[in-house]
Amino acid sequence: MLRMEKFTNDTIDITQLPKFEEVVFTKLHPSYWKIILIFNVIFILALGIGLAISLQSIPEFLPYQTQLTIGVVVIAVLILFFSRLAFVKKGFAFRTHDVLFRHGVIATNTIIIPYNRIQHVALHEGIISRFFGLAKIEIFTAGGDSSDIEIPGIEKQQAENIKQLLMGKIQKEL
Amino acid sequence: MDTLFREPQRQSAIGILILFFDTIRHYVKAFWAIVVLWVFKIDEINTTYLLLGILVAIVVVAIIAYFTYINFTFHLDYENQEFVIHEGIFNKTRTTIQLNKIQQVNINQSLVQRMIGVYALDVDTAGSNAKEGKIKAIAHPVAIELKAALLDNEKRKTVQQEEILEAPIETDQEKPFIKISTLSLIKMGVTSNYVKSFSLLLLAFFTILDYTQKILGEDVLEKQNLESYVNKEFLISSFFILMVALFVMVLVINLGRILIKYFDYTMTKQKGSLLISFGLFNTKSTIIKPEKVQIAAVSQNYFQKKMNILALKIKQATSGAKEERKLAIEIPGCNHLEKDAIMKLLFHKIPEKGIPLKPNFRKLGFALFLTIGLPLLGYSIFRNYNPTLGIQFNYLVPVYILFVAMIQFFKFKNNRLYIHNNHIIKQSGAWDICTEIIEPSKIQAITTSQLFWHKNINIGSLTLHTAGGNIAFQLGNFTTIKQYVNWWLYELETSDSNWM
Repeated sequence: MLRMEKFTNDTIDITQLPKFEEVVFTKLHPSYWKIILIFNVIFILALGIGLAISLQSIPEFLPYQTQLTIGVVVIAVLILFFSRLAFVKKGFAFRTHDVLFRHGVIATNTIIIPYNRIQHVALHEGIISRFFGLAKIEIFTAGGDSSDIEIPGIEKQQAENIKQLLMGKIQKEL
Repeated sequence: MDTLFREPQRQSAIGILILFFDTIRHYVKAFWAIVVLWVFKIDEINTTYLLLGILVAIVVVAIIAYFTYINFTFHLDYENQEFVIHEGIFNKTRTTIQLNKIQQVNINQSLVQRMIGVYALDVDTAGSNAKEGKIKAIAHPVAIELKAALLDNEKRKTVQQEEILEAPIETDQEKPFIKISTLSLIKMGVTSNYVKSFSLLLLAFFTILDYTQKILGEDVLEKQNLESYVNKEFLISSFFILMVALFVMVLVINLGRILIKYFDYTMTKQKGSLLISFGLFNTKSTIIKPEKVQIAAVSQNYFQKKMNILALKIKQATSGAKEERKLAIEIPGCNHLEKDAIMKLLFHKIPEKGIPLKPNFRKLGFALFLTIGLPLLGYSIFRNYNPTLGIQFNYLVPVYILFVAMIQFFKFKNNRLYIHNNHIIKQSGAWDICTEIIEPSKIQAITTSQLFWHKNINIGSLTLHTAGGNIAFQLGNFTTIKQYVNWWLYELETSDSNWM
């Protein structure tokens, strides 16, 4: 809506605009790291059991026993290291007019969705997440899969609040 | 009406069957390998065990289907004007769709659904696919009622009426806005798809080289007498003829394809929209609505520039089928004036190239590494293992390096992001130079990305997501990119511009 009496048309100083790069991001809930750990441990255990079985059943593997074991250990360490890095680097922020999500291990990606571009919102609770009282918020736009945001590891109540906030924002923006 | 679907509802009880078959299909898809193994080893496995296994599987699937049914509810929240779906047994998901964001509600029936007598109802919003509302089993009257309730809001109504009004197309009496002549189409056919033609030519060239080498090779020479010298010359000349023929064939095929597809390409203006019809044998017609246009792409190569023709591609935001979303409307062989007229219609003004943003030289370096460094590394390894085989191809190495380096250099040189108040234009390509044009107001989301070792040299990448695809620009000055992002966000968030 354009109100004539208040209408001004000053030149905008780009450098004075709010800076998305200076936003302080909220870290994911610490319990979410436990969930990642559980999944990783399951995976590594499966890998270890697989190795043990193949060492038992395939005699050709036996001479390489130490190398294979070291390989599995290295993979396990790498998985844990990168999961931790990915967890630490994930963060989200809700500003007055948009939502920001930061992620990525090698590259730091920041995706920003203005509230007036959100199509719909979904709340997802995984079975292990539910045990820790956490939920995942999924925010969808019309820009296809690459422009959707999934924020995991948010406390259930907070997630509900965020969803309510977003739904309210979407409506107001219309 | 307002009380309808207020309470959370389940699907049709008979729908458990649908869910049952659906779950079976799901698991068969996931475990088909095991199923195949079973079928092949049917003699080896004790039949009782097999039957027992199948029985257990069916019971488990039935239980899963039952709980899926129990846990799937949908309802309308009239206070918040939302359509809400709860689903999931262990992993629970609650999807909320704003009523006025709903583009389309489709009622479908698959074979299984027809046998049981239920329908599927899909709620379609713009953009993201697959994750939207989907009810698998619902009785027909309920589906109709739900559809009506979902589409029952003022905004939606007006949009629908518009679409109905525009549906009957009668343009005979109107003068066409742009008509693309057969000559333009011929020009287009001769000048486009060069990469395809060129690669075919290259292939032909090397085949000939291979043959001549075989003929001139020592083995051959020893055995051959004078008689075969005549044959040899004949062979060489015939291969040259073959090469020319191949080139002509590529051109003719290109030409034929374009002529058949786009013959009599006519654009007519109607109420601000563009009606397009084309085709020699079966006439196709589409409609371009300027407000739905997300990306307009112009592509032109050196020859086309000299002939004053170009190809236009227009991507609209559509709410239709998924395949339709990916399809762009192509306008082949229009000239500069026609392009400007179309641009004026789509964007209300001719897009200007604003301040250019250049990629860092590292982009060229990385591209060269990927397209020359890695293949050469692979080749040298290959040569180490096959010393006799590898040497034959040595003469190809400089040709390859020169050719690829040239392509990469022009790609890098042409890669620009022009930023203007009203338009963002991305230019790319080595031979066919493509410019993609979007309006900042069509942006849905923005992603910035930076590799950690690029932090100190301050370069990074940008992706603008629109409902018609993404516009990406890599390795530009990150400070500038961030400034523009802040500015675009400001523009998006302070206006209620309609992106569709």
